[in-house]
Amino acid sequence: MRVISVVLLLLVIAIPFSSFAEKAKTLDEMVKMYDSSSCKECHEEIYMQWEKSHHARPLMGVREGIFLKGVLSSAFAPKDIKKATKKNFPCFKCHLPQALDAEDAVSAEIAQAVAAGDKAIVSKLQITCIVCHNTKAILHRLQEGQPEKGIVYGSQDIAEHGDSSYKQVKKSVIMKESIFCGQCHGLGPNFDAENPYQCATLYGSYIHSYIPSGGTQSCQECHMKEGDHLIAPNWNDAGTADLLSDTILLDVQTLGYEWLRAKGDLRPKVVVNTTISHKAGHRIPDG
Amino acid sequence: MEVTAKTEDGKEIYNKQMHYHPQATTCRDTKMTYGAQWKTQYIRDTSLQPRKPKKETIEIDLPKGVRTADVTVDLFYELVNPSMKFPIQTVHRKVTLDR
Repeated sequence: MRVISVVLLLLVIAIPFSSFAEKAKTLDEMVKMYDSSSCKECHEEIYMQWEKSHHARPLMGVREGIFLKGVLSSAFAPKDIKKATKKNFPCFKCHLPQALDAEDAVSAEIAQAVAAGDKAIVSKLQITCIVCHNTKAILHRLQEGQPEKGIVYGSQDIAEHGDSSYKQVKKSVIMKESIFCGQCHGLGPNFDAENPYQCATLYGSYIHSYIPSGGTQSCQECHMKEGDHLIAPNWNDAGTADLLSDTILLDVQTLGYEWLRAKGDLRPKVVVNTTISHKAGHRIPDG
Repeated sequence: MEVTAKTEDGKEIYNKQMHYHPQATTCRDTKMTYGAQWKTQYIRDTSLQPRKPKKETIEIDLPKGVRTADVTVDLFYELVNPSMKFPIQTVHRKVTLDR
């Protein structure tokens, strides 16, 4: 019995966290499987906010670059980009979770597009609505099971959802919790690959600094006020500078006087005392 | 953050930059590095921590004959490289020793 339980547990852990029965064999297939454009019909404002967000360009970085290019010259670089696999892209875990559930041929296509600087293709690779509202919506998978096919997960149950593919909304118990964002906005070094790598450590800062200092707000309470799916800052619009200046404050106090070093030796001096404070629930900078 | 002091006629007499951010290496040498594919561990963290003000005291010795300084403190966010700056706050103070 114990052996069977262990085997069952391993099977549950081994199953990809996806509600799709078939693996995408090509990049186009994967993009189509995770396409969220139909969401725009009813959720236009939210969709437009998301389109301007970093989630809509997770492999592009800021100012339309292709940040993933750096991986192709790192320890993770494939010997032959035409034979690249998921193992060459540890970044997929968060920057493109759907690629982990696709055939390795998709990774090879992505590698070639990145190497060629093909922004038209790379910009199609997005953290779409389905990634957060299905793939990443259940964390307690041993208790709650895998995300279900045809279900979109939100903050409440809705029996009928007017979408031809996603016909029902189920409540995700973590959707409003910081741990939901923490799945990707990181803790520290990742040891799951053959080489360690470290991306965002923001969630680590949240739980190890902000919470111990008495902070009580969630990621969503600050970054998704009124359901805003821009999830500022996006580093590409004027709102970024406004958010920074509203959040990070600088106080400057000055003093001019003559310091007496020794008898008869007065030295004119200016003292500048600065205090930087901020309202964020994590270290700045982090991501 | 950059602190600059100038004389009344615009001559710079002091400049200092302070950088607040976590700093990582590959753990295979002592060189700091950027990029998640290289970074493996923070070795130093001077970033702005939550609910913990960052305080600095900067002492500027004025050159002989200078009794007034225009002090500017610029706080900005550098993204990706030093040329990509988002201004956050700028504070000017005129400080004089004369009464």
